[in-house]
Amino acid sequence: MWAYVIRKLVYNIPVYLGIILLTMAALRVRDPVAGYLGKNATQSQIDRLTEDMGLDDPFIVQYGRFLWQIVRFDFSEESWAQPGRSVRSILIDSIPPSMSITLPQVAASAMIAMVIALISAYFRGRLVDRVLVFLAVLGMSISYLVYIVFGQFFGAFLPQHLDLKVQPFAIQGYLPWLTEPRNWLTYCLLPVMIGVIVALGFDTRFYRAVMVEESSRDYIVTATAKGASKPKIMFVHMLKNAMIPIITRIMATLPFLITGSILLEVYFNIPGMGRQLITALVANDFPVIQAFVSVLALLFILSIILTDVLYALVDPRVRLS
Amino acid sequence: MTNRPDTRSRGLQPPEQEVGRGGGFQPRDGRPKAVLEVRRLTTRFRTDDGVVTAVDDVSFDVLAGETLGIVGESGCGKTVTSKSIMRLLPEHIASYGEHSEVRFDGVNILRADSRQMRRIRGDKIAMIFQEPMTSLNPVFTVGWQIDEALRYHTNLSRRERRERTIEMLRLVEIPNPERRIGQYPHQLSGGMRQRVMIAMALCCEPDVLIADEPTTALDVTIQAQILDLMSSLKEKLGTAIMLITHNLGVVAQVCDRVLVMYAGRVIEQGCVREIFHAPQHPYTQALLESIPKHGARRSRTHKLPTIRGIVPSLRHLPAGCRFNDRCTYCQQRCIDEEPELIERGLPRPVRCHFPLNQALASADHAKGER
Amino acid sequence: MIGRFLGSRGWRRFRRGRLAMASLAVIGVYFVAAVAVTLGAVSREDTKMRVGPNRLPGFLERINAEKRYDFNKWYVGELSGVFGRAQRAGDEAAAREMLGAFALAERRMSGAAPSELFPVYETMEKAWGELDDALAMREDLADERFVLRAEAAEQRASGADASATEARLREVEERLSEIRPRVEELYREVERAIEVLLPMPEGLRGLVYRLRIGLGTDSKGASISSQAVYSVKIAFQVGFVTALLAVLIGTILGASAAFFGGWVDHVVLWVVSTLSSIPYLVLMAVFVYVFQAPSLAKWFDNPDRPGLGLVPLYAAFGLTFWIGTCRVIRGEVMKIKELEYVQAATALGFGRFSILLRHIIPNTAHIMFINFSLLFIGAIKSEVILTFLGLGVKGQPSWGIMISHGADGVTNFFFWEVGAATVFMFVLVLAFNIVSDALQDAFDPKHV
Repeated sequence: MWAYVIRKLVYNIPVYLGIILLTMAALRVRDPVAGYLGKNATQSQIDRLTEDMGLDDPFIVQYGRFLWQIVRFDFSEESWAQPGRSVRSILIDSIPPSMSITLPQVAASAMIAMVIALISAYFRGRLVDRVLVFLAVLGMSISYLVYIVFGQFFGAFLPQHLDLKVQPFAIQGYLPWLTEPRNWLTYCLLPVMIGVIVALGFDTRFYRAVMVEESSRDYIVTATAKGASKPKIMFVHMLKNAMIPIITRIMATLPFLITGSILLEVYFNIPGMGRQLITALVANDFPVIQAFVSVLALLFILSIILTDVLYALVDPRVRLS
Repeated sequence: MTNRPDTRSRGLQPPEQEVGRGGGFQPRDGRPKAVLEVRRLTTRFRTDDGVVTAVDDVSFDVLAGETLGIVGESGCGKTVTSKSIMRLLPEHIASYGEHSEVRFDGVNILRADSRQMRRIRGDKIAMIFQEPMTSLNPVFTVGWQIDEALRYHTNLSRRERRERTIEMLRLVEIPNPERRIGQYPHQLSGGMRQRVMIAMALCCEPDVLIADEPTTALDVTIQAQILDLMSSLKEKLGTAIMLITHNLGVVAQVCDRVLVMYAGRVIEQGCVREIFHAPQHPYTQALLESIPKHGARRSRTHKLPTIRGIVPSLRHLPAGCRFNDRCTYCQQRCIDEEPELIERGLPRPVRCHFPLNQALASADHAKGER
Repeated sequence: MIGRFLGSRGWRRFRRGRLAMASLAVIGVYFVAAVAVTLGAVSREDTKMRVGPNRLPGFLERINAEKRYDFNKWYVGELSGVFGRAQRAGDEAAAREMLGAFALAERRMSGAAPSELFPVYETMEKAWGELDDALAMREDLADERFVLRAEAAEQRASGADASATEARLREVEERLSEIRPRVEELYREVERAIEVLLPMPEGLRGLVYRLRIGLGTDSKGASISSQAVYSVKIAFQVGFVTALLAVLIGTILGASAAFFGGWVDHVVLWVVSTLSSIPYLVLMAVFVYVFQAPSLAKWFDNPDRPGLGLVPLYAAFGLTFWIGTCRVIRGEVMKIKELEYVQAATALGFGRFSILLRHIIPNTAHIMFINFSLLFIGAIKSEVILTFLGLGVKGQPSWGIMISHGADGVTNFFFWEVGAATVFMFVLVLAFNIVSDALQDAFDPKHV
């Protein structure tokens, strides 16, 4: 088991080194200092900032230094656009908000999509199935942004405007759940719901495809020939096999959701990782961009490794040794 | 099977009826009862390019305790026939002819509801498949999968089922069955998996076992073992076997009677010995000739005969006799009209205008009748 | 290759799907619109030009009292500005010129002599003044009625004498009922005057103008329908260029990785797994950030050639999207490479490049088409997201810009801007979705 994990880790190290290399190179294609300070900067300002970031060193030295920073998780340099805050504190502060809208989103969308996909696969080829599939395609054809705009309008704005008694959702904003759990809920519920609805179209189609593929396997015929009922076949034989690709997919979407909720975070003013990254990109906040992309990629790779391990646990065919 | 006592608590005792006859099919002592009657079976598939008739007006009986072989090239409808009997074809694509009937125990399987079907499948009629690699569910243990069939069809307790599972595995000659029941299919070899499949199919002591090319995917040595195993289990349990194969050698080795199929139709049927000795249909004859003979003289001039041409596509069947474009004896009549499967004036039913070996066949048949 | 693709069995099966063919026709209509826009049917000026008051609703929506007041006020304001300037100009010819210069697209100032128009303008001003007074009075009366009603109810409840209050209330209600038709009459007068001064154009020009305001106007009074149609061109530009770019890169790299193997395969796989380890939105954002560098901006940020402004977007999308295509093509070529006819071609001594070009790549055509269609959708949808985040299209209308601008309007119950962009985009994306599904079904029936 541990040997398997370590092998996976070792295998992914060159990939991660490559990501850092590409990120750093890409971010240096345009002069970050000049981009941040604009045209009116004096030479001395430029020189100072360049020297502070060590951008005048040879690339390989910068590469090594940054890698060493990642290893120690030492992002102590100051953000350019938010003076007085270190990159590290921005990073750490933005993780809980992101998580509080990402994790419920993954869990809820996976469950609901799985149920719909099962219904769809059960009635495969019949009217119910065709309607569900078509609804999924319809849902996929609408822009994420439109869901958000109208979701906010109908979910939060309209109840407030009409002065309804029940106003379960806040229009925008965020409060930490540790200190104010109830408000936290009103702030997070609407973005989470919108995220789930957006994800449903694609997820349902994927899960349905997985289940339909599983339902055409030989072992399903064997089970039928054994005298198993259709629900037994679907929920026992098929579902356990379908769980393998489904778990893989859920794990693989995790890191995407961290950024997939960029839009939600920006629109609902939730100070998560996605919003910080976009703010930094727009404001040319070079140290924050560099650190965020590296950390996001690291999270991504770790979740890939986790997926592989989980995969091995679910599927008896994958040997762990 | 009203005359059969309940299997559920009976253990491994073969049913009395079969015990009396010693299990195996013996055509000479009277006509044994047919357990499965297939009448005018027609199976059609809806495809993107229109409706295709994969099995066309096929009728035959499976007699108690016999081994019936169904032979033919790939795509001749053997597998579809067997899956139609079990109703295993996807219902939204496959449909059956209006007059088609598969009678089992007074029930027409083709019109049975899902509850009746569940009671028949696995308990009364069981099936084993060509691909032992994919036919077992990869995420459940072997023991669980055999146990599943027992759970559906018997009232045994968990411990009894476990014992029975181990017993079955021992019966199909799997060494160390106590350890094997905890293993997953991928941990077994192909031959082992096919043995597991057989154990699974036979654990409820079905009346009919349908074996769809059970040895095709296996090594030659394993093939022989599996066939021997099936024969001996048939003797022990008195189960009738419907063996689907393209391998005439296998037929000669284990079958009592044979059904030869071509392009969705039965073209000849009869006892193995008769068919091998005096084939009446040119296709049967050609099939027999294309078997490499053991110890045959090998020379430059002597080539193994083959059947020229290929099996016609079910979408573009030739007019008249379906075999006419490949038949060496083809005449104008064969192109003009399709022959019926007739017994009239012939020793065995054959679908040909100009049957071969008539004298020989009649003699054989007469000998058999005596 | 396209010929072979069109002759294939999968294509014939695809053509049998009625829904898919209808979707293809829809895409064709959009394509024609995009070509028409490129040829100048709707110019960039058209999308910026003021065609009416701000946030004018589109067809079929009734204008409520509040909006009626706002829109009339806007017209009166604009007209009084023009007429004021014309009055100050002094002589008749200058005034005529000044008045003639005022236009809302096809809706121009009436061609009559200024001496005829001025009286109309003056009556309009007067009526508007009276209307304002009448409305103010109505509001006062309504307030008073509210107070009196409450008072009367209170007096009745306490048993005091309420007759004086009730008499006053009756008087107020009478005056209110008198004022209502007066307000309506004044509105009519103002609207008539506006119609005389700014007559609705007739014939073809009238039709064009009605089309322009058919879906309403945005927060700057510009035509929403023009913007939505112009955005079709942007969508096709972004979709077509990036999908083509991505499919080309993906096919070339994927096919050569699978076909040549060895170090080529290693390098391609390394790049693919590295790039796919960065979430794609981040990757795209970073690419846009890089390509919007000041040193590159002097090429792309050319106000005379706004099309160049899309280059960073093309590059970012193209460089991100090829990864998926590359993976699929690599897998497929791996399979094809082992097929007998390729082995036969190798055995017959054909060159490796000719095998790759003549035997392998044409057989991946369906995958390329499916991917093209999927990436087209991806590009259109990503454009909206990036534009909202401030990293996408700038300086010309696009559905993304319309949705992000119109989002403010939604909280004011003005749905036309977001709605128009959504519907235009939805139909196109839906058509592409159906086509890609049908392609997949037709060419790869096993893949469900």
